[in-house]
Amino acid sequence: MARMEDFLAATGLTKSFDSVQVVDSVSFTVRSQEIFGLLGPNGAGKTTTIRMLSTVLDPDDGDVTIGGHLVAKESDAVRKLIGVCPQELALYPELSAIDNLVFFGRMAGLSGSEAKESAADVLERVGLTDRAKDAVRKYSGGMKRRVNIAIALMSRPQLLFLDEPTVGIDPQSRNHIFDTVLALRDEGMTVLYTTHYMEEADRLCDRIAIMDEGRIIALGTPAELKAQVGDADTTTLEEVFLSLTGRSLRD
Amino acid sequence: MRLVIRQALLLSFKDTRLFFKDRFAMGFALLFPILFIVAFSLALGDLGPEDEQLRMAVATEEESGFSREVIDVLTVSDATGVDEWDPKDAGLALHEGRIPGYLLFPVDFTQRIFSGEGTEILVVTADGDPETEAVLGGLAHSIGGRIGTLSLAARGVTELEGLGSLDLVKLGQLGTAPPSIVFTTEQVGDVEPFNATNFTLPGYLTMFLFFAAALGAEAIARERQTQTLERLLSNGVRRSAIVAGKVLASIYRGLIQLAFLWALGIFAFSIDFGVSPVAVIAVSVLMAVASSAFGVMLASLVRTVKSASSAAVLASLTLAPLGGCWWPLFITPDWMQAIGRLTPHGWANDAFNKLMLFGAEGQDVLVHMAALLLFAAAFLAIAVVRFRTVSAN
Repeated sequence: MARMEDFLAATGLTKSFDSVQVVDSVSFTVRSQEIFGLLGPNGAGKTTTIRMLSTVLDPDDGDVTIGGHLVAKESDAVRKLIGVCPQELALYPELSAIDNLVFFGRMAGLSGSEAKESAADVLERVGLTDRAKDAVRKYSGGMKRRVNIAIALMSRPQLLFLDEPTVGIDPQSRNHIFDTVLALRDEGMTVLYTTHYMEEADRLCDRIAIMDEGRIIALGTPAELKAQVGDADTTTLEEVFLSLTGRSLRD
Repeated sequence: MRLVIRQALLLSFKDTRLFFKDRFAMGFALLFPILFIVAFSLALGDLGPEDEQLRMAVATEEESGFSREVIDVLTVSDATGVDEWDPKDAGLALHEGRIPGYLLFPVDFTQRIFSGEGTEILVVTADGDPETEAVLGGLAHSIGGRIGTLSLAARGVTELEGLGSLDLVKLGQLGTAPPSIVFTTEQVGDVEPFNATNFTLPGYLTMFLFFAAALGAEAIARERQTQTLERLLSNGVRRSAIVAGKVLASIYRGLIQLAFLWALGIFAFSIDFGVSPVAVIAVSVLMAVASSAFGVMLASLVRTVKSASSAAVLASLTLAPLGGCWWPLFITPDWMQAIGRLTPHGWANDAFNKLMLFGAEGQDVLVHMAALLLFAAAFLAIAVVRFRTVSAN
């Protein structure tokens, strides 16, 4: 049952592909204005979970409520509340950053002038105003990742899904993304963040759910999770992760 | 509905913009077909609008006489292709390359015929021009034979009437065994030779329209892989708008292809749309719709970018020959024509051939248009049912 301060509530989410159960009865809540981390090894079911939460995939079983709207029945209302930054660079490299932003903004329902205004805002937020008119294919990996996030911010969402947004980028760009995410949270946005970088989750997330083989195996604040396996002050999140998920390879 | 139309249009405009930024796609859709059209037009026949008719020059050194009468007969109509030249002018024109050669009747042509000594017609050509020599030699041979036949007839008449003032026996000796060649010219109006581009251009246009649309499946599969379609969906874009936008974008590209290649055909290769250009355009537009639906259908049936590429190439290179893109279906056996009817290419090419080669009117290809429309509807139905926005990973 969702509490008033829960912006997202997932209950018993289940999904199978070709008889392989990818997500198995996953339940959790994300509170308003928190950064909620979803951690797990490759193939744990994080991306499939985000797809179900963001209305892209229908679950085989279970419910999701976002901002008081049931995803299964009010997907249009839900889509107005969310912004999604997929794991892949979901953009058009041949177009400029501003053209990408305006296109996705308009597809989300903004008018031409609203889309341009919003594009200018988010470009400034991700530090790309100077390169706004360059084709994205000419950008560095970090810049492309920032554009990927900027697109998700175009419709000023209340809940932002970030699916491994820092994969393969330099420390400076990663740090910039951390600052951006923290600033968004401080401005009132709720963030659901998936990663398998432990220090990233430790630094950013207010609460963390650890997923493995389609199930949530632990959930709590970073300190609470550390306390489960040792001294909260000296134990690292990676030690918690390996302790809970094991050391066998998952690829 | 308005939302879907708005989203579909925005998507299709964006895709068209990307097409203009993609040099490879542009080259493949617009320039690559030209190579095939030119190569196969050259191989199959003339590229130009009209074959130049060979003109034959004749000249005589006689002021009057038999040669003069022969030339008068040969030049009575422009259709014979024979022009009379002054002997000196003819020699100069040959030297300057203005004519490839000429026949020359010598100054004693008539006198030698009547004296029974035998005479000759000179075939004057430039060195190393056996074709002109053969043509003019044939004409000279024909004239000689004709004169021989006439002389035989004249001898018979003379003997019957007891006239002996002319040595017609000797005259007849000229053609004792003449090859009785008679020139008959049938003038049926301006003769335009077969312009091979009237077949090759529609054929390769059809092939590359479907090929480019099929390769569009690769772009859609890539968008699915990079999660842009997924992002659009979570942005509130309807699945039906994505399908419609992709089909529309492909139709725009097809129309650009059609406009470019038809214009090229008209201005560079003098192709002829026949008596019903509107029907040619209507068939073209329906073909663009069918090919676009085909491309999106293909995208809905494949899972990965690689499988999309393979399917596009395989489908295109199989359907093109079966559908008469490489050779006209009407020259193939019945069973192959029947197979051609199972492809949209076959209906499109048959319609183009009827309109552009055989002078058919619009109403003659209504069935073809209906068939293309049915193909488009079937492809679109499969695309709508099967279209996926999320990759299988």
